Amino acid sequence: MLISVKDLKTYFFTHRGTVKAVNGVDFELRQGECLCLVGESGCGKTVTALSILRLFDSPPGKIVGGEINYNDLDLAKCSSKQLRQIRGKDIAIVFQEAQSALNPVLTIGDQITEQIKVHMPLDRNQIRDRAVSLLTDMGIPSAETVMSYYPHQLSGGMKQRALIAMSLSCDPQILIADEPTTAVDVTIKAQILDIFRELKTKRRMSTIFITHDLAVVSEIGDRAVVMYGGKDVETAPVPELIVSPKHPYTVGLINCLPDMSKSGDRLTSIPGTTPNPVDLPSGCTFHPRCPRAMKICSQEEPSKTTISAGHYVSCHLYT
Amino acid sequence: MAEKSLKTVSESGSSSGRGTGLVNYYWQRIRRNKLAVAGLAFIVFLVALAIIGPLFTSDPTAANFDEKDIPPIGFTYLQSAYNIQTDQITTKEIHGTPKHILGTDSKGTDMLAMLISGARISLLVGLIATGIAIILGTIIGVLSAYLGGWADNILMRFTDIMMTFPFFLLLVLIVFVFGPSLAIIVLVIGLTGWTGTARMIRSEALSLRTREFVVASKALGARDSRVVFRHLIPNVISLITIMATLAIPGVILAEAGLSFIGLGDPNRASWGIILQSGWRTMRTLWWVAVEPGIMLFLTVLAFNFLGDGLRDAFDPKSNV
Amino acid sequence: MGKSWLRDYIIKRLIYAVIIAFGILTITFILLRVGPNSPADKYLANIAAHGGDPAQVQAAIEARYGLDKPIYVQYFEYMGNLFRGNLGWSFSTSMPVIELIKTHWIYSFQLILLASIFAAILGTLIGIYSAVRQYTKADYAFTFLSFMGISIPTFWLGIMLILVFSVKLGIFNVYYDTTLPLFSLENLKALVLPVITLGTGMLAGYVRYTRSNMLDNLKKAFVTTARAKGLPERTVIGKHVFRNALLPLVTIVMFDLGSIVFGGAYLTEYVFGIPGLGQISFNAVFANDYPVVVAVTLISTFVVLLVNLATDVSYTYLDPRIRYG
Repeated sequence: MLISVKDLKTYFFTHRGTVKAVNGVDFELRQGECLCLVGESGCGKTVTALSILRLFDSPPGKIVGGEINYNDLDLAKCSSKQLRQIRGKDIAIVFQEAQSALNPVLTIGDQITEQIKVHMPLDRNQIRDRAVSLLTDMGIPSAETVMSYYPHQLSGGMKQRALIAMSLSCDPQILIADEPTTAVDVTIKAQILDIFRELKTKRRMSTIFITHDLAVVSEIGDRAVVMYGGKDVETAPVPELIVSPKHPYTVGLINCLPDMSKSGDRLTSIPGTTPNPVDLPSGCTFHPRCPRAMKICSQEEPSKTTISAGHYVSCHLYT
Repeated sequence: MAEKSLKTVSESGSSSGRGTGLVNYYWQRIRRNKLAVAGLAFIVFLVALAIIGPLFTSDPTAANFDEKDIPPIGFTYLQSAYNIQTDQITTKEIHGTPKHILGTDSKGTDMLAMLISGARISLLVGLIATGIAIILGTIIGVLSAYLGGWADNILMRFTDIMMTFPFFLLLVLIVFVFGPSLAIIVLVIGLTGWTGTARMIRSEALSLRTREFVVASKALGARDSRVVFRHLIPNVISLITIMATLAIPGVILAEAGLSFIGLGDPNRASWGIILQSGWRTMRTLWWVAVEPGIMLFLTVLAFNFLGDGLRDAFDPKSNV
Repeated sequence: MGKSWLRDYIIKRLIYAVIIAFGILTITFILLRVGPNSPADKYLANIAAHGGDPAQVQAAIEARYGLDKPIYVQYFEYMGNLFRGNLGWSFSTSMPVIELIKTHWIYSFQLILLASIFAAILGTLIGIYSAVRQYTKADYAFTFLSFMGISIPTFWLGIMLILVFSVKLGIFNVYYDTTLPLFSLENLKALVLPVITLGTGMLAGYVRYTRSNMLDNLKKAFVTTARAKGLPERTVIGKHVFRNALLPLVTIVMFDLGSIVFGGAYLTEYVFGIPGLGQISFNAVFANDYPVVVAVTLISTFVVLLVNLATDVSYTYLDPRIRYG
C-alpha cells in the first residue's frame, strides 16, 4: 500500500463562510493500480488530490483533520521542506488544461529541465538528453526542436503529452492525474487514455486518476472511489462498481450514461444540484436528492459498511 | 462575462423598480470598502464647503494689510521688518487668532476664505472639464466603433495625434495664447483630455458587439437599438463612472499646475495660485505654501479612493 | 525563431510616426499663429514708454522674422525648414534653437533617467513583496502609502521637501547649482530631492501596478504546476510569476518615460530651478518664441513615438506569443 488517506478534511476559510471542500475522505492507493476518484464537479475530488501534495492556496485553505500516510510520513503534517522533496520526484501531478498549466513565456525545454535539475544530480547535458528522451517516449516527434518551442506553438495533444512527460521526468512512484481528458476533444482523449494504459502496463505506474466520466473509469480504472459532497460514498473494484453499484448516487451516475441499445426519448439525470459546500445538508449529504431516502438519512451520517472484499458503502440502506 | 448582463436581478432581492435593485447591489459593495466611503465623505464635505462656505467667510480677493502675515491658530510667527529710516530690523510676534483660523497671507487675505474659494474652483473645473472630456471621448469612441472602416481609422489616428501631444505643454500654449481665464482653462483641459476615454469606450463597444449576450439577444430577434440601450449602455456606464472619477484628480492637478506657474485666472483664488504666492514666501509664511497643498492632496486622495472602490465594486470577479 | 515580420512592422511604424509628427506640428503651427500675441510684445511697452511708435516696431520685427508673409507661405517655409533639420532661431535667447536645446536637454535627461530608475526598481520590488505577502500588515501599509504617493501633487511635494530639507534642515541647497560638473557626487546630491519628487508618483504607480499584476498571475494554473514540480518558492515567484508580470510592467515603465518627460518633469524642473527643456519651453511660450516651442514639441513627439515603438518591439521578445502584422 503506497498511500493511505484517513478521514481527510480540508476546509477553506473565506469571508463568505467556511467551505468544507473535503469533509472526511478515506482511501488507499496500492502498488501498480489505477485508482479513480469519481464524482460531479464540486464534490471535492480535485481538492483531495491537491491536499496530498498540499498545493492549494494556504490562506484560505487548511488541512484541518486526517492523515495522509506515505512512506512513514504524514503528508498532512510534514514540513514544507520534506514536501518539496516529494513533489515532482516521488509523487507527481498532471493538471487538467495543458495550456494554462504550462508557463506561456518559458520554453518547453526550460520547464522540463528545471524540474530535473532540482531533483536529480545530473549535469547539464545529461539533463537535456533525459528531457529529449522523455518527450520522444511520449510520442512527441522531433523532440530536439520541441525543446525550444513555447507552449502556444504546440497542438493541444502535444501540450498534454509534454505535460505528462514533465510529470514523469524524475521517475515518480505515484502519478496523480486531475481530469486529464476533460478539457480535450475526443481524439486526443483516446490518445491520452492510451498513454495512461501504457504507463500502467509497461512502467507499472501507480496512478490516482480524477474524473467525472464513468466511461473513462470503466476503461482504465482498477478500483474507484465515488465522491459526493466532500466525502467518499462508495469504494469498489471497477467491474463490481459498474455491475452492482450499491449507493444510490452511484446508481444514479451509472443510469446517466446513455444506453445505446435502448431507444428512449429523455436522458436520465439525477434531480437537484450539487450541495453548497458552505452550507451542507444535515445527516447524509445526498439525502435531498436521493430517491430512496429514509427518515434517518436527514438526521445521522451513515457509517461505512463492507459489502464484500474491497467494496465499501456509506449509506443507511446497508447499515 | 455574461454575468454582467444577467445582473438585472440583484442579490438584495429588490423587486421594486428595474434599476433600483441594481443600484442597491452596487451600493452595498461600495459600502464595504472603508477607504472609498471615506473618500466619498470628504468629497461631499468639500462640496458642502464650496457651496455654503462663502456665506460665512470674508472675501477671498480682498486685501487687508492690517491683518497680514497671521499664522494659523496655535502658531506664532516672528515677523521682521527693516525700517529704512532707523536702519534697524524690528521683530514682532504675531500669534494665530480665532478670527483667521488658518491664518492670512502676505496681503492680509483670510486663508480659509481663499481655500474655500479654491475648493469651488477645483470642483467646478474638475466636474465640468471632466464632463466635457468624457462626453467628447464617449461620442468619438462610440462613433468610431459604430462606423468602422475609414472613419474609424481617421478618428483613431486623430486620437493618436492628440495623445502624443505633450499634454502640459499644450495646455500652457493654449492658455497663454487665449488668455488665462477660468472658462478657457476648463475648455482646454476638457478638449485635450478625452483621448483615454475615447479609446476605452471604443474598445469596450467593439468587444461588446461580439459578446455572447449581445449575439444571443439578436438571435432572439431584438432590434439594434434595443440591444444598444438595454445591453451596451448599462455596461459602458460603469466604465464611464470609474473613468470620470479617476480623471477628476488629474484635471484638478492640471489646473493647479497651470495656476502655479502663473497661468491661472488671476481674478480668482484657486489653490494653485495660493501655492504660487506661498512658494515665494515659503521661508517665512510657510503656512501659505502648506495649506493649499494639503487641500489638493486630500482632494486627489479622496477621488482616488473612491475611484478605486468603484472599480472593485463594478468588477464581477473581485470579491468585495 | 526568425522575425522577418518585425522589420516590416518597424518600417510601418516609422512611417506612421512621421505622419503623426506632421499632424502635431501642423496643429502647433496653427495654435501659435492664431493667437493675438506676437514676439514683439515684450518690446512694445518699452518702446511706447520711450516715445517710439509700437506699430512700426512691431511691423519691423515681424518682417525680420518673416511673420508678415501670407500664412500658407509661412507654413511651407516652416515645414520645409523642419524637414531639412533647421530648427530656426530663438528670438528670446538670441541663439539657434539647436544650440539652446543642446545646452539644456541633458538636465532634463538626467533627472528623468534617475527618477525612472529609482521608481522602477523600488516600485517593482515593493510591489512583488506586497503581492506575495498579501493580507499582511506590510501589504496594507504599502497599499495605503502607494495611494498617498499617487495623490500627492508633484510640485507641492517638491516645495515641501525643499521647505523641510533645504530651508529648515539645511541639508540640501534650495536651488539647483548649474555649475556643478555632471558626473560628480555633488551633482548627485543636488539631484536627490528632485529625483524623489519626480519619482514618488511614478514609484507609487509601479507598486500598485506590479502588485496587481503579480496577484493576477499568482492565481494562474502554471504557478501550481511549478510548485507541484517541487521547485523552491523563490524560483516559483522569481522565475515563473515575475516573468509573466514583467511584460505589462515594461510597457508602463517605457510609457511613463515617454510621457512624464514633458509633464510632471517640467513642474519639477520649475520648482527646483533645473534648467532643462521644461524651463526653456515655458519661457519660450511666455515670450512668444515660436521656434523654441515648435522644436521642443517636435522633440517630445519623437521621443514618445520612438519609446512607444521600442516598447512594442521589446514586447515581442518578452512575450513569445506576440506577433504583429
